[in-house]
Amino acid sequence: MAEEEEEEFTFKTAGFDARFPNQNQTKHCFQNYVDYFRCIKAKGEDFIPCKQFWQAYHSLCPSDWTDKWDEQRENGTFPVPI
Amino acid sequence: MLKNKLPHHPYQIVDESPWPLIFSIILGITLLLFVCFNHQLMKHLNYWLIFSIIITIFTLFLWFKDIITESNYLGEHTKAVRKNIKIGFYLFLLSETFLFFSFFWAFFHSSLSPNIEIGAIWPPMGFENKVLNPLEIPLLNTIILLASGSTLTSAHYNFKLGNRSKVIRYLIATLFLSCLFLSGQYFEYSNASFTIADSVYGSTFYFLTGLHGLHIIIGTLFLFTSLIRIFKSQLTIQNHLGFELAIIYWHFCDIVWLFVFLFVYVWGY
Repeated sequence: MAEEEEEEFTFKTAGFDARFPNQNQTKHCFQNYVDYFRCIKAKGEDFIPCKQFWQAYHSLCPSDWTDKWDEQRENGTFPVPI
Repeated sequence: MLKNKLPHHPYQIVDESPWPLIFSIILGITLLLFVCFNHQLMKHLNYWLIFSIIITIFTLFLWFKDIITESNYLGEHTKAVRKNIKIGFYLFLLSETFLFFSFFWAFFHSSLSPNIEIGAIWPPMGFENKVLNPLEIPLLNTIILLASGSTLTSAHYNFKLGNRSKVIRYLIATLFLSCLFLSGQYFEYSNASFTIADSVYGSTFYFLTGLHGLHIIIGTLFLFTSLIRIFKSQLTIQNHLGFELAIIYWHFCDIVWLFVFLFVYVWGY
């Protein structure tokens, strides 16, 4: 809590997505991960609305999974076309 | 076996037969050897597998020979017995339906909500240009099977009318169409660019189509047996149970193919 003087830090999770209503949120995490990289591929890295996906997948996904997928993307073995 | 007294009921009291037990044992051994073959447990077991398949088929042949003897030469297949055998056969087809149902379940489980490991898409990524076009050989195969169903119905109709030459002609046409189907499948299997080991798509595809192909082979053999028996004049208009059961089995295989074609080929494209 070191940045209290500069900005108010609000905890925010990804929020309800009606496409993924059940307890198993795996697809929710995966879809946001894929959507982020598709968003920056289509709109560029500086496009601000893409950050929404970034925040969602960082909130939802275990870092093990995102590390593994980052590696797959680098190797060209990621199972979804981006 | 001479019967001094006719029983006061129309039912068949089956004589003691070794075939159910022997067939179960041999089939069990065949399946065990098949598992060993799949896991490559022993090099020379493959020859034993082929040998045991031959023995299985031969045992089945001996069993059916006994049934034909009871039916044709001992006259034990009365109208009541024939009706009961038909009911039994329908129950067998029900069990086959459930067998296919379970593999269709597996297919739908994997394809309706694909896992993230295959990219949450169906067909999985990498399969775009590998998936077989349903409008090519699969559609041809569908038409072939439907046509074979119609030639078989004509054969049965002519059989009931007593036109021997027409029956034989239509039955040979049915068998010819069935061989066309099997060669179409063989061609597709040889030239497909994915194998059974290629992700869940390959597994479900080859298992469903392979199991269906096996049923078509069995149906063809069943129809071929009926043809031989018609040549030998072993079937009568009143009692041609073997032929009727072969026809029902063939129509069952045809219907299963329609489901396979619609869901695996067309919907999965």
